[in-house]
Amino acid sequence: MPTLSFQLNGRPVSAEAPNATLLVDLLRQQLGLTGTHIGCDTAQCGCCTVVVDGQAVKSCNQLALQVAGREVTTVEGLAREGRLHPVQDAFVECHGLQCGYCTPGMVMSAVALLQHNPRPSEAEIVDALEGNLCRCTGYVNIVSAVQKAARTMAGEA
Amino acid sequence: MSAVPDATHATRFGSGRAVRRVEDPSLVQGQGQFADDVSLPGQTWLAFLRSDRAHARIVSVDTAAAAAMPGVVKVFTGADLVAAGIKPVVLPPGFKRPDGKVASAPPKQPLAHGVVRFVGEPVVAVVAESRAAARASAAAVWVEYEELPVVASLAAALVPGAPEVWPEAPGNVLAEARYGDAHATEAAFAAAAHRVSVEIDNQRLAPSPMEPRSVLAYVENDRLTVRLSSQMPTGVRGGLAASLPGRTADNVRVLVGDVGGGFGMKTGIYAEDIVVGWAALATGRPVKWQAERLEEFTSAVHGRDAVSHAELALDAAGRVLALRVRTWANVGACPAAVALAIPLVIGPWVITSIYHVPLLSLHLTTVLTHQMAIGAYRGAGRPESVYIIERLMDAAAREMGLDPAELRRRNMVRPEQMPYTNPLAQVYDSGQFERILDRGLALADWSGFAARRAEALRRGRLRGRGIATFLEWTGGNALEEQVRVDVTADGFIELSSATMAMGQGIATSYVQLAHDVFGVPLERIRVMQGDTDRANGFGSAGSRSLFTGGGAVHVASVRTVEEAKKLAGEALEASAADIEYRAGRFSVVGTDLVIDLFELAKRQLEARIVVSGTAKAGGPSWPNGCHVCEVEIDPQTGAVEVVAYASVNDIGRVISPAIVRGQVEGGAVQGIGQALSERVSYDTGSGQLLSASFMDYALPRVDGFRDFKTEFDESVPCLTNVLGAKGVGELGTIGATPAVVNAVIDALAAEGLGRDAERVQMPLTAEAVWRALRREFPSVLPVRAA
Repeated sequence: MPTLSFQLNGRPVSAEAPNATLLVDLLRQQLGLTGTHIGCDTAQCGCCTVVVDGQAVKSCNQLALQVAGREVTTVEGLAREGRLHPVQDAFVECHGLQCGYCTPGMVMSAVALLQHNPRPSEAEIVDALEGNLCRCTGYVNIVSAVQKAARTMAGEA
Repeated sequence: MSAVPDATHATRFGSGRAVRRVEDPSLVQGQGQFADDVSLPGQTWLAFLRSDRAHARIVSVDTAAAAAMPGVVKVFTGADLVAAGIKPVVLPPGFKRPDGKVASAPPKQPLAHGVVRFVGEPVVAVVAESRAAARASAAAVWVEYEELPVVASLAAALVPGAPEVWPEAPGNVLAEARYGDAHATEAAFAAAAHRVSVEIDNQRLAPSPMEPRSVLAYVENDRLTVRLSSQMPTGVRGGLAASLPGRTADNVRVLVGDVGGGFGMKTGIYAEDIVVGWAALATGRPVKWQAERLEEFTSAVHGRDAVSHAELALDAAGRVLALRVRTWANVGACPAAVALAIPLVIGPWVITSIYHVPLLSLHLTTVLTHQMAIGAYRGAGRPESVYIIERLMDAAAREMGLDPAELRRRNMVRPEQMPYTNPLAQVYDSGQFERILDRGLALADWSGFAARRAEALRRGRLRGRGIATFLEWTGGNALEEQVRVDVTADGFIELSSATMAMGQGIATSYVQLAHDVFGVPLERIRVMQGDTDRANGFGSAGSRSLFTGGGAVHVASVRTVEEAKKLAGEALEASAADIEYRAGRFSVVGTDLVIDLFELAKRQLEARIVVSGTAKAGGPSWPNGCHVCEVEIDPQTGAVEVVAYASVNDIGRVISPAIVRGQVEGGAVQGIGQALSERVSYDTGSGQLLSASFMDYALPRVDGFRDFKTEFDESVPCLTNVLGAKGVGELGTIGATPAVVNAVIDALAAEGLGRDAERVQMPLTAEAVWRALRREFPSVLPVRAA
């Protein structure tokens, strides 16, 4: 069985994965990181979004073997020493989640956006989250949360 | 009596204050426990082979090749389940056919047996060592079908001589209900100064919580445990016990962790739950099934789907004289009772909404088709009814040349009429509808619309304004709820409830209510839900959890303090009457003798203090609101954009301000989804599902409207429950759909279509609006209205 090694949430990991294994299944089933969720089968909902080498990626749409040698961050890899990442904290503060199922994917899309564009306009936030579906919030407070996180990370609040 | 503390006792975290939700820290870190997040050692996977026909006789099922594939543990067919004594889910009596006989629908076999009746019906289940092996094996099953004639639309089902879905439903008419006085209504229409009518297709929707269903079943000491995502754990336990041989409520346990959205779709027992439970019993192994999104579209219940011809008669002054509605509801092939209750019972309760309607005549028919069953979806009957009356109000205003807000005002039930009994014998305890209207008009700058329309026209855009003033019934008629309080020696207050958190933040609201009484930090209070070994009850549906369960939290918390005072009296050798409680400590008045609440728990025999409390609301609550929407249409493309949305909502007392705002605004976006983009679409010839992925079923995305103005009017508390709260979960969805559609029609009417604009049908996609601008309208009535 093919093996792969990659950086996962800052730590090196090795895993065996049949060729057809999806990245999301490697994360959830083999590595036990169930924060990355599955919401559809057609790469439409974004619940499974993770960050690979700084890019938001739908992990249902990548083979596990494609991340060999790369750096993967999941929602479990954001908090530091018990402190929430500013994006996570902003989602809580702004009531940017209700059921919480889409939230890890939303958070990871937002983290990737803010890495590349620390001061996004509202239109840029909307563009970055276009691939993430939420059925509960109407997106109102999700966009607010990303704006708040951007301000926090810029040291303004 | 009010459970909400007055200002002197209020803290920064109690009811009425916006707090960080207790649900959130784990959810934002990916530490939630959704149904698919739990796996067990030795776990197997189950996959279904589903019917690819809408109606066919199963001639034979050949599972030999599938069973021989690597990793396969067991293959189950419908015949296997029948032989094992697994009972189908049958429609309970309670509804009548037009001929007076008890309504009968096809029994829902957990795996189809003999006949398949909709695309996506489970036919074969395979249990294997991996999900891939289970799926591969299911695909290798060979089913020979004999195709049978399909009725995959209301029109097809109601054609005289149409093929019948079920022999005991002649003409495909499953059940019928009539309300009101048809003759008096007819006379009122004949004598009326104004008569208007509208034809409405309240299209089929897919509830689409983001978390697909997932079921994990295992057996321990002959007890079957089923872990799944559900709003009603106790109901699921009952459904499993009713179907599975040798199972009773005592030897079945249902566990529910975090629920990734429900919206009514996760309220009942599903065929798949029974199959997974049986597979665990039959194999002795833990069995897991996770639905693919395709399976959710084909075989999780759909919502709405009713066509109506609705008429309103008014006098010369614009006062409603009578309402007449003829509705046909498409409930699919194997409906549960709720599919009939929604159009035949619940919808009628609110069809007169906040208006005084002296006479009415309702004729409501449920129809079987070869489609997935209808079930509860956010609002369940109230959105359909409110949409009808709000469309009629606008039609009447347009006919009479009146301001639609003014026409509504003239017909509202007035505060002095409270308690008000509506024509369906429903009693509204409270409501000041004109006050809410006035606040809504002010918030929306109703009177400033002409200037905004003129400005839009200069940009080449057609601007419209729509209003919905409405109420809804909440509580599910399950108005009693029990909560158990455990004060533990390790310093926690546990609230056990059979209601379920599913995004509505009920745990946070409960914690706030308990904090009002106990005065301990929020993090010392935990809510325990989703375990039928711990708490049983109706569950969370119908916007009931806060005003029933929250009331029980209050009652149980107060009782706990009273009981603990006695224990503190014993511990401190004082009379309970001399014991004072404040913020986690008991003290003897006038002394320095104190004991901590949790220390007191530690000293008890079982190291905890346990007290239960029950609250019973005296009736449903009747939240209401005024929602005003403005849209702009691009006449070149027909594309509709919501550009303004203001709402004032009476939900009685507000416990958690941020949460209720999120409920109303998120709910409104769901309502906008129905108005503008969502539709479950079947091919009417073959019965194949055409909208079977998120590429085809258009959920609102982040680029839609978000700039809501939302206010709450707390001046009219509910009078029939201890909190004074009214349900909020469904309000936004109910108000948004008619407000948006009325706005689009207003824009089209002003563009020269006049009352013809009322012939548009949801969803108001760019294509639908573009065609309307060219006077092309769909025809929706399944039969010519009498």
